[in-house]
Amino acid sequence: MSPVPGHPRLRVFYAAAWLAALLACTKSGERVVVYTSVDDVFARPIAEGYEKATGVSVLLVPDTEETKSTGLLNRLIAEQARPQADVFWSGDPMRVAVLARKGITAPYRSPAAEGLPSAYSDPDAQWTGFSARARVLVYHRERVATPPSSVLDLLDPRFRGQACLANPLFGTTSMHAAALFVALGDERARAFFEGFLENGGRMLSSNGEVRRRVAAGDCAIGITDTDDANVARLEGRPLEVVYPDRDGIGTLLIPNAVALIRGAPHLEQGKRFIDFLLSPEVEAELARSAAAQMPLRPGVAVPDGVPAAQSLSAMPVDYAALAPKLEELSMGYLASWAEKAARAGE
Amino acid sequence: MLSCLDLERPGRWRILLIGAVALLVSTPTLLLLRRGLEGELLGKLFWGNALESSLGLAAGVAGASFLVGWPLGSAAALYRCPARGFLLVLISLPLLMPSFLLALGWSAQSLATGFPPHGWLQGAGGCLVSFAASGLALVTLTALAAAGAIPENQREAARLFGGERALVRNTLRSSRAPAALAALLAGILTLSDPAPGEIFSQRTAAGAILESFAARNDLVLASRQSAALALAALALSLPLLLASARGHLRLTLAHTPRKASLRLVAPASAGTAIGFLCVSTLLMLPAVGLALPLWHAPSTSLAGAFEVAFARASDTAFDSLGYALGAGALAAGLALALAAAAGRSARLQGAVLALSVLLLAIPAAAPALGLAALAAAAPGWGDPVLRGPLMVVIALGLRFLPVAALLMLRAWSSTAPAWFEAAALHGISLRAFAGRVLLPALAPGLLLSVALVGLLSASDVVAVLLLHPPGRPSFALSIFTVMANAPETTVAALCLVYGVAAGALVAAIAGRARALNRT
Repeated sequence: MSPVPGHPRLRVFYAAAWLAALLACTKSGERVVVYTSVDDVFARPIAEGYEKATGVSVLLVPDTEETKSTGLLNRLIAEQARPQADVFWSGDPMRVAVLARKGITAPYRSPAAEGLPSAYSDPDAQWTGFSARARVLVYHRERVATPPSSVLDLLDPRFRGQACLANPLFGTTSMHAAALFVALGDERARAFFEGFLENGGRMLSSNGEVRRRVAAGDCAIGITDTDDANVARLEGRPLEVVYPDRDGIGTLLIPNAVALIRGAPHLEQGKRFIDFLLSPEVEAELARSAAAQMPLRPGVAVPDGVPAAQSLSAMPVDYAALAPKLEELSMGYLASWAEKAARAGE
Repeated sequence: MLSCLDLERPGRWRILLIGAVALLVSTPTLLLLRRGLEGELLGKLFWGNALESSLGLAAGVAGASFLVGWPLGSAAALYRCPARGFLLVLISLPLLMPSFLLALGWSAQSLATGFPPHGWLQGAGGCLVSFAASGLALVTLTALAAAGAIPENQREAARLFGGERALVRNTLRSSRAPAALAALLAGILTLSDPAPGEIFSQRTAAGAILESFAARNDLVLASRQSAALALAALALSLPLLLASARGHLRLTLAHTPRKASLRLVAPASAGTAIGFLCVSTLLMLPAVGLALPLWHAPSTSLAGAFEVAFARASDTAFDSLGYALGAGALAAGLALALAAAAGRSARLQGAVLALSVLLLAIPAAAPALGLAALAAAAPGWGDPVLRGPLMVVIALGLRFLPVAALLMLRAWSSTAPAWFEAAALHGISLRAFAGRVLLPALAPGLLLSVALVGLLSASDVVAVLLLHPPGRPSFALSIFTVMANAPETTVAALCLVYGVAAGALVAAIAGRARALNRT
């Protein structure tokens, strides 16, 4: 006797079990596994370009800072004993620096990195920097008459209750916060963050939210990244962009950073993908994309509206040294500041 | 070997089975928690006022969901009203939407309608509304199911005794306990979800855990916080769990297979319809907020946006369905084992409820990271299972096991002890009895478990993000990763396609359930 005859009500249950078993099948063939914190809309075309050029499948695992996922970084840490990823392509050098400190990355000096300024890469070749975004001020065209020129202008009484920035514990805002502490010194940086709250400044969930709020006129001014600002510009939002502190501490540049994962299952493919990513062609493509990333390599053509990195007064930053500073701030001052900012918003 | 009668008798196997399932489902979390518990057990938790604010939010969500969902679901079980089926589908939709989408939609909607930037609807209120949307759906559906189980003869008796008023009073009394339990679960679910708190800049315990995970990369602290949060949730639920253990919630699990017919009573039916309409309009506001950018978009940009959305949907449809159905099947199977072990013992049912509370209160990232670490520590030959889609299925199935467990406890209570006794008397083997009698009788509960867990799994992004095999994301995860810098019309189109697909799924399941009830 059949243990469980084919009762119609049970068929869905069987079908579900069958489908789950079917899912166990995996694809085979030449491939490279790339974890990336770069926004999917920008990373995917590059990955597809590589697939077309080489015939190698790129299995992209994207992440986003938009809703503060627990994220790929933790996945990489959890998988450290036997990684699945070959390459980590980060939207900023901080996350890769954290991985490097934990021994998750492997050194790789790519021949394709020639021409890229060494200031944007790890001296020990744990990661290599290329195309950059910048931290910029965005303001609503109709709500701000005189453009700001410095991030410190967020403390200006004319922006009382109208300025916003993303949670400084996450994403590029955290890197910006750490860089401000290094550039201004602890005392002045703390005074800036405290003054921001005293001036009625608001902490939002993400840089994308800063873009949306300023575009909607809900906030008059905010700090975000150039890719967010450019997307708003392309959508015809009434936003203006300022590269801040040209005459002072300089504008913070945030290079992409790519690293080879230690113990990568497809080591050679990973190296080839990194070589591809560091090529002038990819820098040019990222500049042409909606992300409007600035090539770090001199001489790469940039479209209108995208400044050359060399034309900016860049904030002098030791990117590798920012990670421990951020770690210290995340456990201390920034955590309590974020709590205070959240309470102020309640 | 168990006999049919053993399923009705007390026995040590029951506790062993519940213990085994509890160990199985908590192993992934324990793998991560171990590191936290090894160190300073009572070390600093960095909560600030986060726990307090989370508990307040959970209480608010549970209270609001109960106060609105309980009467609404009970009324829907008694009275026929126009477009009842459609309104029920509409009210179920928030269950299928990832919480971050609901919060972003509500935020966009309140911005568009000009609520003040510091107004309560964009702060704690926004958080409450985003969470209460799914809580309300859960409580309404639970109250509907509980009140719907009151048989026709009891309804008539109540009417004869005290008219329509007595019927309503008695119905509300019988659906109160299940609705309260559902409200409790809805409140507990908010404890482990950081997204709305982050979007509305509210400090919550889940947000603090997220900070430990994502900003500090401190898994030890995060795991300690997760354990503390689960214990806090358990402590809060203790009164209800004790009530359950004393048998006060037996009614929750009572079940009558024959459904009563719905009546058209003019004022009550109109009131039910108006209640449903108001609630579903409120619940639809986030969806409208998400779709707003489509309103003013030029047709060329609309076409492009929908092209992207359909491409993403078709690329991810197979894996999304597989993850969802697989998780549903796994959860239903484990829930069946738990229900069989708990049987008709109020104490064991209480133990299953306690396990459910603990599982729901732990942030989804903790077991997912535990499974990822387990897979990394295992030898490579285990990869097809440990790093394949099945791992996502396992993580999701374990995450939503509590929902299936409650449904299966209720389904098990619908079986009659006489069936088991008769089978034993005639010497029928347990295997034959299960195949011929028990499983077909439990099939509606199993189907509902597969469906509900599947739908909840379809909207999960955390476990899928941390465990999916490279190149095989789900549709919800795809929206999550695309939405940061994609044009707003693309994000809106993705959300609309997701909402329509989810609605179609609910409608299909509701239709199937109706067909099953008829047979």
